[in-house]
Amino acid sequence: MVKRAVLILAVAVLLVAGLAPVAAMFVRSLDVDGQFSLANYESLLVSGRQWTLLANSLALASLTTILALAIGVPLGVLLGRTDLPLRRALAVLFTVPLLVPPYIIAVSWFDVLGPQGFLSQISAVAAEHAAAWLFGLWGNVLVLTSVFTPVVMLLTMVYLKTVNPRLEEAGKLAAGWCRVLWGITLPLVWPGILLAAVLVFLLAFGELGVPMFLRFSVFPVESFTQFTAFYNFGAATAAAAPMAGVTLLVFALERALVHQGTVHIRFAPQGDAASVIRLGRYRRPLGLAAIALCFLMVAAPLVALVARSMSVGAYAEAFAKAGDSLVRSIEYAALGASLLAILGFLLGYMIQDRALKGWPTVDWLTIFLFALPGSVIGIGLISLWNRPATNFVYGSFLIILLGYVAQYAGVTSRITAAILGEIPPSMEEAAQLAGARWPRRVLLITAPIARRGLVGAWLGGYIFCLRDVGISIMVYPPGQDTLPVRILTRMANGTPELIAALCVVMVLCALVPLAVLGLLLKWRGTAR
Amino acid sequence: MNAVALDSVSKSLGGKPVVRDFTLAVPPGERLAILGPSGCGKTTVLRLLAGLLAPDGGSIEISGQLVAQDGRNLVEPEDRGVGMVFQDLALWPHLSVRGNLEFGLKAKGVRRSERQSRMARMLDLVHLTDYAAARPAELSGGQQQRAALARALVTQPKVILMDEPLSSQDRELRLELRTEITRLQELIGFTLIYVTHDLDEAFHIAARVVLMRNGAIEADGTADETRRHLTSTSPSWLP
Repeated sequence: MVKRAVLILAVAVLLVAGLAPVAAMFVRSLDVDGQFSLANYESLLVSGRQWTLLANSLALASLTTILALAIGVPLGVLLGRTDLPLRRALAVLFTVPLLVPPYIIAVSWFDVLGPQGFLSQISAVAAEHAAAWLFGLWGNVLVLTSVFTPVVMLLTMVYLKTVNPRLEEAGKLAAGWCRVLWGITLPLVWPGILLAAVLVFLLAFGELGVPMFLRFSVFPVESFTQFTAFYNFGAATAAAAPMAGVTLLVFALERALVHQGTVHIRFAPQGDAASVIRLGRYRRPLGLAAIALCFLMVAAPLVALVARSMSVGAYAEAFAKAGDSLVRSIEYAALGASLLAILGFLLGYMIQDRALKGWPTVDWLTIFLFALPGSVIGIGLISLWNRPATNFVYGSFLIILLGYVAQYAGVTSRITAAILGEIPPSMEEAAQLAGARWPRRVLLITAPIARRGLVGAWLGGYIFCLRDVGISIMVYPPGQDTLPVRILTRMANGTPELIAALCVVMVLCALVPLAVLGLLLKWRGTAR
Repeated sequence: MNAVALDSVSKSLGGKPVVRDFTLAVPPGERLAILGPSGCGKTTVLRLLAGLLAPDGGSIEISGQLVAQDGRNLVEPEDRGVGMVFQDLALWPHLSVRGNLEFGLKAKGVRRSERQSRMARMLDLVHLTDYAAARPAELSGGQQQRAALARALVTQPKVILMDEPLSSQDRELRLELRTEITRLQELIGFTLIYVTHDLDEAFHIAARVVLMRNGAIEADGTADETRRHLTSTSPSWLP
């Protein structure tokens, strides 16, 4: 009874935080001067500019997805299954761009290819061409590919761990690794690769910060501009609706292709040494190629960013002008991560245990909300909460936390569900037969056994809340902006050195907790 | 009054009948083995008794109390007074042996001094006194088995269910542990329902053996009677 009540409460929180705002936004888009009207959508359909925006958005998302798949899948196989040198360090480095707000990677590339970038010190003509290129479709694709390739790489690595090594070993008796990978392994991890493609497509489709910085016209920027510059709520919601529609459509397509109700990750039994692919004479050249790619995609832009920021004055100014935002960002991210860890645990538990009848819908909803552009959720939150009676929510940081919960519950619930799937049901059953009621079983048995996963979920939540731009920029109450929002709004009048310093601080905020956790785990491992 | 009584119990899983019209009465203090091939429904019977599954039909009584009837559990597993040793043992990896034993006692609100004395006695009975502070991963297979047994017994349940608990052990250890289980049952006097597909194990541990096939009882009698039945019918699943 208690179990059911708690899980229903968790679902209710998700519905209030996530589904209700999207529904409110849709209703609001049909309301013109208090009357039901499709005028907002009519103007959307007849406007040539909207079709250009749609074409730009689709082109950006499609090209990013194709490139991210082309790089991410081989990288995932190389780093996840082979004896490539430095594979762990490379996996961490390739993941860095995903951990920071995407526009920081755009700023980093600007410091390499921009008019005053490092390329200009080598060749002014080349830099001029590169800058023009950066501020177009392909520049946006370059930045978003660096940011979202880790999604493909990581999901490929995770799904490779779900393949039973015996299946590959059976193939190895008849063929070489290339044929086994192509004919057996990759078809088995196909749902993971498709999920990665869907996520990359939708994340690129909904990305606001990068196209805004690189001045590329896409739907999220249009929706944001209509809302902030013209305060045309109807046009903003109508521009947001196609984004929600595309998200729904792409997910429906993915489900139709994969024919499975949910994303289940079950790790296979550990394989023996034979299941590691020995690269032999290709080990060194492939290692060098991976290092070169890492330098090009990750290290070069970040080094340029750090180099640009290298002055005491820039950092002093950064802390003076954005110190309050920095503290707020960390506070909100920590609070959001804690809420998300709890909610994600309960939702993950419900999904894993199939404890409520509607678990597949809830599971799907969390992923849908994660893939939905942040600006859409932001507009939805405003539609729902911007009323005198609920101003205590709308006018405080609670509105940001609601947005975090709505968008990132899918991250923590997925991590938790995967970890809980690794715990035999008999653990909790034994506790039940020992006389423990559900809260005691969950708090003293299940949660402690899943503690590593819970820490991972908290960190995942922290990183995503910290790097959030789409929701925060739409809903932050006056004087309560976060660091990513402050940096974005400072770009118009801040010096490149100041912006670079702020970006470096942002990167450190994301990476330091991960580094500390990594060291702690390593230390604990050594101590044992 | 029977320790356990199942009356016309049925259960389907995934639309397939797993237990059919299962009727069984077990008097207090009896050692009963349920024997049968894989997939015959033995484990499902245990899970129905424990309350981890609800029967589709029929009724279940434990120590005279009606715990399940007409497709639903009337008493939750934690309130049935049943202990269980799982096939995978299900020792909680984050707790020491002492922690594993103490968990159930705390959940049942047993006072601290009583907890200490019960745990000390139980650890002594299973020869694990020196390993009280060890985590399950630090124990040998036999020690883990004893720890799981001690955990099931420490809350003093009237009925102990064992679901092929020795299946993952080597032959020598199995022989040693089944003697140990018999010794403990004689010493404490709990009712034991032991599920296995191993003939030797069933006949060694139990005074009464129930033979199951396709979700129903095929034979029920003393160990000797069931052995004779098996010899006369020679089912194909026998080695």
